[in-house]
Amino acid sequence: MGEEDRTPLSSFIRKTLAQSLSLQLLEETTSQLQNQPHFSTACSFNTNEPPRVFKTPKTNFTRNSGFSSLGSVEEISSCCWNCKTRRPFLICESCGSVQPVDHSVDYFRIFGLDRRFDIEDGSLEGMYKNWQKKLHPDLVHTKSKEEREYAAEQSARVIDAYTTLRKPLSRAIYLMRLEGVEVDEEQTVSEPELLGEIMEIREAVDEATDSQALNKIQSQMEEKLRHWCNSFANAFGSKSFDEALKSIQRMTYYHRVNEEIVKKL
Amino acid sequence: MSEEVGYTVASDSDTTREETSPEIAIGIDIGTCQCSLAVWNGSQVDLIRNTRNQKLMKSYVTFRNESPSPVGGVSNQLSHEYEMLSGASIFNMKRLIGRLDTDPIVSQASKTLPFLIQTLGVGVKPFIAALVNNMWRSTTPEEVVAIYLVEMKALAEARLKRPVRDVVLTVPAAFSRLQLTRIARSCAMAGLHVLRLMPEPAAVALLYAQQQLPKNMGDSGSERVGLIFNMGAGYCDVAIIATAGGVSQMKALAGSSIGGEDLLQNMMHWLVPEMDSLFSGRGLDEIKSMGILRVATQDAIHKLSFQPTVEIDIDLGNGTKICRVVNVEEFEEINKGVFEKCGSLIQQCLHDSKVANVDYIDDVILVGGCTNIPKLKNIVTGICNKSEVYSGINPMEAAVRGAALEGALASGVNDSFGSLDLLTIQVNAHRLGIRADGNGFVPIIDRNTTLPARREMVFTTAHENQTEALIVVYEEGDDEKLLLLGYFKVVGIPAAPRGVPEISVCMDIDASNMLRVMAGVVMPGSGTRNPVVPLMEVRMPTADDGHGLCAEALSRSFGSTLDLVTLHNKL
Ligand SMILES: [Zn+2]
Repeated sequence: MGEEDRTPLSSFIRKTLAQSLSLQLLEETTSQLQNQPHFSTACSFNTNEPPRVFKTPKTNFTRNSGFSSLGSVEEISSCCWNCKTRRPFLICESCGSVQPVDHSVDYFRIFGLDRRFDIEDGSLEGMYKNWQKKLHPDLVHTKSKEEREYAAEQSARVIDAYTTLRKPLSRAIYLMRLEGVEVDEEQTVSEPELLGEIMEIREAVDEATDSQALNKIQSQMEEKLRHWCNSFANAFGSKSFDEALKSIQRMTYYHRVNEEIVKKL
Repeated sequence: MSEEVGYTVASDSDTTREETSPEIAIGIDIGTCQCSLAVWNGSQVDLIRNTRNQKLMKSYVTFRNESPSPVGGVSNQLSHEYEMLSGASIFNMKRLIGRLDTDPIVSQASKTLPFLIQTLGVGVKPFIAALVNNMWRSTTPEEVVAIYLVEMKALAEARLKRPVRDVVLTVPAAFSRLQLTRIARSCAMAGLHVLRLMPEPAAVALLYAQQQLPKNMGDSGSERVGLIFNMGAGYCDVAIIATAGGVSQMKALAGSSIGGEDLLQNMMHWLVPEMDSLFSGRGLDEIKSMGILRVATQDAIHKLSFQPTVEIDIDLGNGTKICRVVNVEEFEEINKGVFEKCGSLIQQCLHDSKVANVDYIDDVILVGGCTNIPKLKNIVTGICNKSEVYSGINPMEAAVRGAALEGALASGVNDSFGSLDLLTIQVNAHRLGIRADGNGFVPIIDRNTTLPARREMVFTTAHENQTEALIVVYEEGDDEKLLLLGYFKVVGIPAAPRGVPEISVCMDIDASNMLRVMAGVVMPGSGTRNPVVPLMEVRMPTADDGHGLCAEALSRSFGSTLDLVTLHNKL
């Protein structure tokens, strides 16, 4: 798992700062915002001082506090702010203006993909780079200040989308969130069977003295990861979310072992 | 000091220039040993030559008594290289800028450079001085760089026949944030406005992206993975980039403060093992001897890139004569440590990039003066399992050319042929975090995080009823050494059992690489998730000169009373 996934995001950060964070997977769940009447004042890791890359413009906050129904989301995204063309995407197709972030557009849609676990190798890179060429803060110097802020936010969101979808585990967790199922990554293991296995692998890693032994465990872990990725895909496809959660828990665990091995190697 | 030397000191905050039509920013590559300037001319990048028709100019500044006071390598014509080593010239400043007198690089330099570098070893700036009329005249690395930049600015203005203010400067990946601050200060002193301080590999990646642009528009081209190895006199950088359609995404970036200067110092010590004590007095004779030794050794190293042996025959005075033949094997053995470090830097970068194996690397791109050393070339190509290196790039000009491209992009220039349809997406070279969990370093932004980046982590109090917390921000440098960037206190934490208050610390690096650290306090169970005190937002670094002393003072004054611990459990 990548660095961003390891970072424990407290519920405080998740809930009160949702709109201002570069990595937060909860932004789509508008119900969270509904429970946050003080959202616009609490959302405070923002300053008034431009240029802020991840700054959600002040105007956006007022919009956000009215975010409580899907209806208002539709309203924001229905017209380009500049030419009023209907249904602009990240960028308006007719005038090229960068649009404010529309959180109803999920990460899969950014890449033109269906909400499915299996994605083809290399299906993200090309689109990722194309978006960045249009949105990256380094390339929008000539646009207006407001549009530059939109671009900074959109660019950051595309980076998040890319890093989230690229790795199977974060992609799985994200898919579950889109379905409204929370994954607690810090959840402790309670199944005795898995617990026993964990202890065993731990010991094996601790006792491994040479890289050969570690490599062997690593390929075992990768095998297990592949297996649980497949079971996640199946479970998710058939909407058995309990089964899917179980797969995620195992993926998380084997992934951590892998990371530990890499550190030791 | 600003009155003494003739440069203007512009305000740091003088950055309002929105509405005027933009001038095209020039690219500057300040090397430890050599510098160059380049600019986008409307269709391509031009290197700017000095009056002696040189594209690469020696990096040094000579202090003199008469006016105009100091002159640097941009405009000064040396009659002989020894002139630069007379004690009056200061050089190697890129290696010394922003470092403390406790830094091994500084103490090593203080023993081998033919001017004065005094180190007290207490965690403050070293004292640097040039010999003018048999008197040591003090200066600072920032001042020397600024004087040099003034000359470069004048040269560019003369060549381009327009004022020059906006610049893109390349910097080593290993540069700490304190070093970045210092070099930015030098630019401000020279009246230059820095649009970007760009890691050298990022500049090279931009040039590479341009060269890989598909010939016909619309064709996005296939992705090519490149490994950039850049080693000059002072620093070594490695980067893995994936390039397609004009966009280079950095996969990993690593840097270290090793370079040609280390090779030179190792070789000098091998030739004259007692040199440290021999030259410690810094009298006129010693300085002369140091100069002779340095020039001869430099020359020998250079020759060993092309021939198997070299003869060194010099008289250092005081009866010390050196006459010996050195062969390539000996040279490689003397510098084994440096070469090993280069190898491990490449390995680390490959590992961090998550490139499955070296066969995925399409191009090995060598940059910097040291890469013509056969041993280094072999190390890089060996690890990457390649028989040849990428030939489309001039190792000595790649960084400055990339900087000029970035200068054009940052100035909003559009090219109708699409040859500025370019972007490098960068990553963070250093881990950033705070002190917590006892005296530990807890990283918040990891290495190789795509920029701009924002990450946060939740901490809690270490003591019962702790109402204040000290946030001490560190950057991890070479060999996991921690550098203090700054600190601030979070106050007004409601009295509560330890482990209850939630203190969120958020780090944000924006597109221009500015780092901000934010902190807020939330009390769980209080019925509100709103912060209980106003949030703090602090631009880093705040600690500057003497940050070494500062770290000690903090721990002396506060001990563990204002400590934090991380608030999360791992499986
Ligand atoms: Zn439009």
